[in-house]
Amino acid sequence: MAGSRDTRRASPQGKRKAQSKTVSAGDIPPLEWAAAGVGLVLAASAIGLTAWDAMFGVKGPPAIEVRLQKVTATGYGYVAEIEAFNHGGAPAAQVQIEGVIAGGDTAGVTIDYIPEQSRASGGLIFSQDPRGGRLTLRAKGYTDAS
Amino acid sequence: MDANASYGRALSRAFGGALLFSFPLLMTMEMWSLGMSVERWRLVTFLVLTIPMLIGLSYFAGFEPTFRLKDEVLDALAAFAVGFLLSAVLLAIFGVLRFHEVGTQSALGKVSLCAVPAAIGALLAGKQLGERDPGAREKAKAGPLGELFLMAVGAAFLAFNVAPTEEMILIAYQMDAVATLLLMAVSIGLLHVFVYQLGFPGETRRREAGGFKRTFLVFTAPGYGVALLMSLYLLWTFGRTDGVALHEIATMTIVLGFPAAIGAATARLVV
Repeated sequence: MAGSRDTRRASPQGKRKAQSKTVSAGDIPPLEWAAAGVGLVLAASAIGLTAWDAMFGVKGPPAIEVRLQKVTATGYGYVAEIEAFNHGGAPAAQVQIEGVIAGGDTAGVTIDYIPEQSRASGGLIFSQDPRGGRLTLRAKGYTDAS
Repeated sequence: MDANASYGRALSRAFGGALLFSFPLLMTMEMWSLGMSVERWRLVTFLVLTIPMLIGLSYFAGFEPTFRLKDEVLDALAAFAVGFLLSAVLLAIFGVLRFHEVGTQSALGKVSLCAVPAAIGALLAGKQLGERDPGAREKAKAGPLGELFLMAVGAAFLAFNVAPTEEMILIAYQMDAVATLLLMAVSIGLLHVFVYQLGFPGETRRREAGGFKRTFLVFTAPGYGVALLMSLYLLWTFGRTDGVALHEIATMTIVLGFPAAIGAATARLVV
């Protein structure tokens, strides 16, 4: 950035020459080329990947799968760690997750955001062991993220 | 090698500037959720517009009167690199970017959205903090169009700091028509006073624009117009205008136009 200018400023006599129309490539230190190169790659990939996603990414509403990860018996109830994966093409906000043990306890949780093609995790807390009965996990609803 | 070392120092300063300018946004949760929920084409547009904006800023923030495209482009790209890397590292440390997220569109969205203000900071710091005696040199002179460009960047930058937050919408809901008109008058008044009466450093030349009426028509009014346009653009980019009634959009634009007008007025302070 200012580096190439600092060097020019150091020699006031040479300044006028440096400002003339032709600037030799040797004027720019390799590090400057490298930094700009990294910037070019990052900018191009950020723009390119986002555009690619806009054109060819998965389309459609959020499709949320809820999976049970692990159940731990604590002194304050059975903690069922869950993971929600959004297979759809749009992010979901305020996702309500419900877990029901057949003929027994119900627990619920709200997950703030699940981006498309991404996962988020949380926990449901039951008063009885969810491994005992048949546990149904599902997402009940969401709002559009914005 | 000496040129490399001095460029390295400038690059470190750029990281410092990026940090200074962007940490409020990196620590704002709306930026993270917007990063994943922003409509993809709007994000692409935003990123594509960032590059020429950085190039223009690089020219005006520089201290040489000649426009050398190669220099400005290199500086702009380096600034983008600094902004992007800094955002990625900090967001990872803050736990916003999780390991399983790396490479997904949501992670890319979060980082690239935060990279833009960071890149502006990087560019300004890399240019300015390096100047040992800032008063000794004239900044690159800007014509009327250049002034308008700088006002637009200043407006966008300051507005960007608050545009993602829910508060902008909430304030718009809370204000009635009288309050809205009052805020508009205050914004225009501040813009005019900041630029043409107070004479902040680097602003002196602008006061010689003729009488009050002329100054107001030629500079203040277009300046506020640019501030409103930038506000509307940011609100649209962040999806705040979708499905909202026209008068509510107008109120939101005027609310965001307040920081934007201050940004437009003080752009020359930092650039």
